[in-house]
Amino acid sequence: MTVRNRGALAALAAGVAALTVATLVACNSQPAGNVGVEEASTLAASATPSAVEGDPSVPVTAGELPAGARIVPPVRLVIPGIDVTATVNAVGINERTNEFEVPPSVDQIGWYRYGPGLETDAGSVVIAGHVDSAKQGRGAFFRLRELDQGDTLTATGSDGKARKYRVVAREEYAKTKIPLERYFARDGKPRLTLITCGGPFDAKARKYRDNIVVTAVPA
Amino acid sequence: MQLSYFRRVAAGGAVAALAFAGVAAFTATPAYAATSKVSVVHGIPDTPVDVYVNGKKTLDNFKPGDVAGPLSLAEGEYDIALTKPGEPVGSAILKVDNAEVPGGANISIAAHLDAAGKPKITPFVNDVSKVDAGKARLIVRHTAAAPAVDVRAGGTPVFKGLTNPKEAKGDVDAGTVKADVVLAGTDTVAIGPADLNLKEGTATIVYAIGSAEGKTLDVVAQTITGLHSAPGGVPSGDGGQAGTGVQTWWYALTGAGVLLLLGGGVRMATARTGRK
Repeated sequence: MTVRNRGALAALAAGVAALTVATLVACNSQPAGNVGVEEASTLAASATPSAVEGDPSVPVTAGELPAGARIVPPVRLVIPGIDVTATVNAVGINERTNEFEVPPSVDQIGWYRYGPGLETDAGSVVIAGHVDSAKQGRGAFFRLRELDQGDTLTATGSDGKARKYRVVAREEYAKTKIPLERYFARDGKPRLTLITCGGPFDAKARKYRDNIVVTAVPA
Repeated sequence: MQLSYFRRVAAGGAVAALAFAGVAAFTATPAYAATSKVSVVHGIPDTPVDVYVNGKKTLDNFKPGDVAGPLSLAEGEYDIALTKPGEPVGSAILKVDNAEVPGGANISIAAHLDAAGKPKITPFVNDVSKVDAGKARLIVRHTAAAPAVDVRAGGTPVFKGLTNPKEAKGDVDAGTVKADVVLAGTDTVAIGPADLNLKEGTATIVYAIGSAEGKTLDVVAQTITGLHSAPGGVPSGDGGQAGTGVQTWWYALTGAGVLLLLGGGVRMATARTGRK
């Protein structure tokens, strides 16, 4: 075998090696995929029963000023499958951006205080947390996309009561396409919705393209 | 609650009057449904009534300060009559014939006193458009036998010079605010103060009712839920450690691999032909 041939073989081998590495990386970089999409949309669609058609009685209420409703904010979330134990803060809307005010500290997560609390018998309790941050590293929801149907989690309310949930869906949506109305709905079956970021990262804009959404129901 | 925002909204002049003419004007807008939601508000002091709609008793012994409904009424004209409890519809103490109910609207019909203290019926079209995330809608209606008033939040007038039977409204930050009603341009408190819990995604409609002269001024409140909007987005990461999909270096690596394969292949091929 000539020197020339040996060089060609080495080039071929290097080429194969490079492509193999590239293929492996590409496979590992694929999103985990959606599960339970149907379940998640069914939960949202099941309407809260409304007044019976043709019901002759008209509801009459005392026209008192609305009182503060009894809401149970979640204060702690434990997801054993992905080693999450996080403090939950009540958060609202960022005035400037009109976006969900995720707590700045990446090891804490935020409950949307305008939506239902853990006591609810209808609608979606929303908790969002960072997947990571440039300054603080990995966030509480770094491994959220590893959750799968049947995984369990426990949310503890300010009343001290721990409530168990079971994951029914994990979905990934481009942020431009995510049906947020569905996840912030106040009707439909009671459910817990966990949201973080995911998908390809745009290093220039320092933004993820997608949101990862995990839907869980009372276990 | 941010008062500055509140004031800005109020200063926007969101004061509207809606009489029957106003309701009729709404029929010109395309209605997506033929039925309307109709609530009835009782703001006449000391006068429980039976309410008849098209001659049929719909509310029995309806008490002052109560809110009934919402009823689903098909688009059309309705005769509304109020009688003393148990009395026949023929001896109504107050009635409106051919009240127009447009399709697809949300309406409140208030039985109340006019500025001079005479009972009357005024329909209001409720603004049930969505509010932004984090906001609540406050609507105040002057339906009392009283002169013009200012509505104050935390001591600052937010709605000024409101007269019977008009309304003022604004979308404000959700939360609790201490509100009162004063005679317009004065600090003379007519109603309140009271804590208003403005829940996010709802419209709270407050009716000033009763009579200043009769010292029966009070409020009736009605709440409409389901007006919430979702946040604009959920930004929750700027680190990039969890990024999926391939990066620039991947394309460089793949390109290099392809080039090496091609180059090596060509070299091998030319080497073979060269030896022949």
